[in-house]
Amino acid sequence: MKTLSLSALLLCVMCVLVMMNLSFGAVSLTFNDLLSGFQPTSEFYFTIHEYRLPRTLLAMLVGGMMALSGTLVQGVIRNPLASPDVLGVSHGAGLAAVLLMTLYPDVSVYWLPWTALCGGLLAALVLWLLCGSHSSAIKLAITGIALATLYGSLVDFLMLTRPLEINNALLWLTGSLWGRGWDQVTMILPWLILVPVAFWLAKRINLVQLGDDVATSLGVSIPVTRLAVLAIAVGMTAACVSICGPIGFLGLVAPHLARRLVGGRHQILLPCAILVGMTLLLLADLVARTIDPPIELPAGIMTAILGAPYFLWLLFRTK
Amino acid sequence: MKSFLQKLPFLGQCIALSFLLCVFAWLSLFTWSIIPISGTQALSALTSPNPNNIAHRIILDLRLPRVLIAGTVGACLAVAGAIMQGLTRNPLASPSVLGVNAGAALGMATVSTVAPWLGVFGTSVAAIIGGAITWSLVMILGTAWRGGNEHGRLVLAGVAISALCAALTKAMIMLYEDQAVGVMTWLAGSVADARWSDWQPLWPMALFGLSAAFLVGPTLNLLNLGEDSARSLGVKLGLVRMICSVLVLILVGAALSAAGAIAFVGLLVPHIARALTGQDYRKILPLTAIMGATLVVLADVVSRAIIFPMETPAGAIIALIGAPFFIYMVRSKTS
Amino acid sequence: MSLSTHNLSVGYHDHVIVKQVNLNIPEGKIIALLGPNGCGKSTLLKSLARILKPMSGEVRWQDNNLHTLPANFLAKNLALLPQTQPIPEGISVRDLVAYGRSPYTGFWGRLNAEDKRIIQQVMQETEIIKLADQWVSELSGGQRQRVWLAMTLAQDTPYLLLDEPTTYMDLSHQVELMHLLRKLNLQGKTIITVLHDINQAARYCDHLIVMKQGQIITQGSPESVLTKAMLKDVFALDAQIYQDPIAKTPMCVVE
Repeated sequence: MKTLSLSALLLCVMCVLVMMNLSFGAVSLTFNDLLSGFQPTSEFYFTIHEYRLPRTLLAMLVGGMMALSGTLVQGVIRNPLASPDVLGVSHGAGLAAVLLMTLYPDVSVYWLPWTALCGGLLAALVLWLLCGSHSSAIKLAITGIALATLYGSLVDFLMLTRPLEINNALLWLTGSLWGRGWDQVTMILPWLILVPVAFWLAKRINLVQLGDDVATSLGVSIPVTRLAVLAIAVGMTAACVSICGPIGFLGLVAPHLARRLVGGRHQILLPCAILVGMTLLLLADLVARTIDPPIELPAGIMTAILGAPYFLWLLFRTK
Repeated sequence: MKSFLQKLPFLGQCIALSFLLCVFAWLSLFTWSIIPISGTQALSALTSPNPNNIAHRIILDLRLPRVLIAGTVGACLAVAGAIMQGLTRNPLASPSVLGVNAGAALGMATVSTVAPWLGVFGTSVAAIIGGAITWSLVMILGTAWRGGNEHGRLVLAGVAISALCAALTKAMIMLYEDQAVGVMTWLAGSVADARWSDWQPLWPMALFGLSAAFLVGPTLNLLNLGEDSARSLGVKLGLVRMICSVLVLILVGAALSAAGAIAFVGLLVPHIARALTGQDYRKILPLTAIMGATLVVLADVVSRAIIFPMETPAGAIIALIGAPFFIYMVRSKTS
Repeated sequence: MSLSTHNLSVGYHDHVIVKQVNLNIPEGKIIALLGPNGCGKSTLLKSLARILKPMSGEVRWQDNNLHTLPANFLAKNLALLPQTQPIPEGISVRDLVAYGRSPYTGFWGRLNAEDKRIIQQVMQETEIIKLADQWVSELSGGQRQRVWLAMTLAQDTPYLLLDEPTTYMDLSHQVELMHLLRKLNLQGKTIITVLHDINQAARYCDHLIVMKQGQIITQGSPESVLTKAMLKDVFALDAQIYQDPIAKTPMCVVE
């Protein structure tokens, strides 16, 4: 009952945020403008339909998927401080994107998401080759971190040796929803197919919480489950990062908030985390756009600033 | 060579490594200069300086402070790393992994973008404060989570703190775009712009920090036995933590304000020292200092050579060597 | 014989811990695995529970190699309580015990009336009813041990494998646990447990298996196994064997 009412509340908050995202910005719209804005005859049709609607949708998609992959990663790594970042996926994607921007600055921007996607998936593959499926969870996480550090230093190296592109690269590396439209929404939509698969794995993720030995004795194959769950998380993270750049802390904080709200059973936790993620990114993007218009902060920075206090509190609570 | 070094007595190791350091330092004085300088000129500039000789001027005004700063910074960071590893009993602890570098970078970026009128001194202080905040976070966490299998957890916490600071630093840089390259260079760590004016504040802090660090060696040995045993052997844990933390901050702060956030020296070097001499911190600390100096001086030479005549930050070079080593470390030290 | 090992060698990496062990687990008994630290008793238990893959030889369930059988089938027949357990976040005691029913539930983990009855019953048996709605992460070591035991019991298997189940428990809960094991045994369960306390093993178990350096030294009833020679050989202890005045089982007193 508590769970139901909480979910309803979250949904309401999210709807309000969607409305706010659609109406606030460089031009603020009233509720009536908003309603009429969906008709092609309205003077706001272009603003709403071409700018704000796809962007809001994208915030929901990316926020939900980042939160979901964060929950999955924390579930199988069995560590509440893990996040998709520990798999090195976002850094790998970042490296690929920066490589493209610095080495081939003339290539069309159209290729950037695809390159980043390949980079992210490749990074996950490297991690898997290094660790295999039999490494312990924490070793996997720390190897991922080490790999991420390697990609990070390569990115720094590239940026410093080619200082001309540094600002573009930095902008991409912070993660932002700026300038994203329907093309990006359609790019990310196919990845939604992974969401039901994640739900289907929920019961097994629960059992993974009990430790490798007990999970095995309850009939769950740890290597297979871990590989499947991490593969889903990698796919979704890579997709999100390729489109919006690395949006920090969302995958770390959203699962925690969700866990505090509804507890640790993944059948309920996964959907709740998705809702929380959507809400957070909508909020972050709204604040980022409206704090000092027409200047926009990247949403990635806003999520970090919003997530930071909660995260620190969390660190101290974890015993 | 490693096995040859391992067989030497401790003093022999020190002398051999110091010799190596001198050779690299000498190389660093004259190689890859736009105006050709010879090795003998480098020596004569030190012994009988002639202010009218352009080569001597370059060596004395540009190269010598650079070598000195590179070496000192290397020694400071490496020793700080060794102390952190001893204090947390975590083989992966180091200023960069536990987020101290990132915190210092955030402090520095904040001051240099928001309040540039505070000048070099202000940024140094900001760097030290930023580093101190992250370090105390890590220390509080480290003492709260005792036990053998918390290595990974502390590292995860450090990584998350680093990520947070990095995001905020990026925000600072992006809000004040014209500073981007400068701050990025500083973040990667470079001794390219080192001058005598940077040496002035560095050497007293480094001298104090390093000599005090050698004195805590025996205590770190006891800590290695575990906190409860150390306490029952008469170690005042709180006091030791306090002193070591202050030392780490002095060393890291001195290094960061002189050369920027050079990563991985603190992680890499103590492990090489340990491979040479074993677990005795009385020996690890001096060896770490010498080797840290050698590593950064060498990296600085390489940083000039790699795309001559442009300069790459030495920190970027070390990161490229250090990151694979970090991966190797993770794979061998965590089960 | 349902569970048996044939020339079983198990270990970690290149290090062999259990060496060439042939063992038939007698059905319907409480079996204790005894031996000094590092003798391989936990490793043997884990390989019986199919957690560890054999380096050579095999563990058989009836006449099949254990590792070729479907995981869900085995989950309904063998339950393991490991020595140390993680502390999951945000999981209530009732949820954790319910996870023990997962081999029987569908993909979403929905519990039917039978599942709920069993969960309620094992929580009563392990005296954790009062804790049912607390978080597992808030319990004391001994309480947590009982919760995990309940989870293992909820698995409702004919075979129960326990790795030092009495660790962290106070004396009265230790005794209660051993009585509970006896009761479960009377209901037909075969129980294999690693124990440290030889006298506890002799008093409550039907069959003792003594290991040393990865091999089985002796096995059989407490009376036949617990001898001065065995204690000297395996534990390097000089001890006298007396009869327990209450249970009439053998007990050793170290000189």
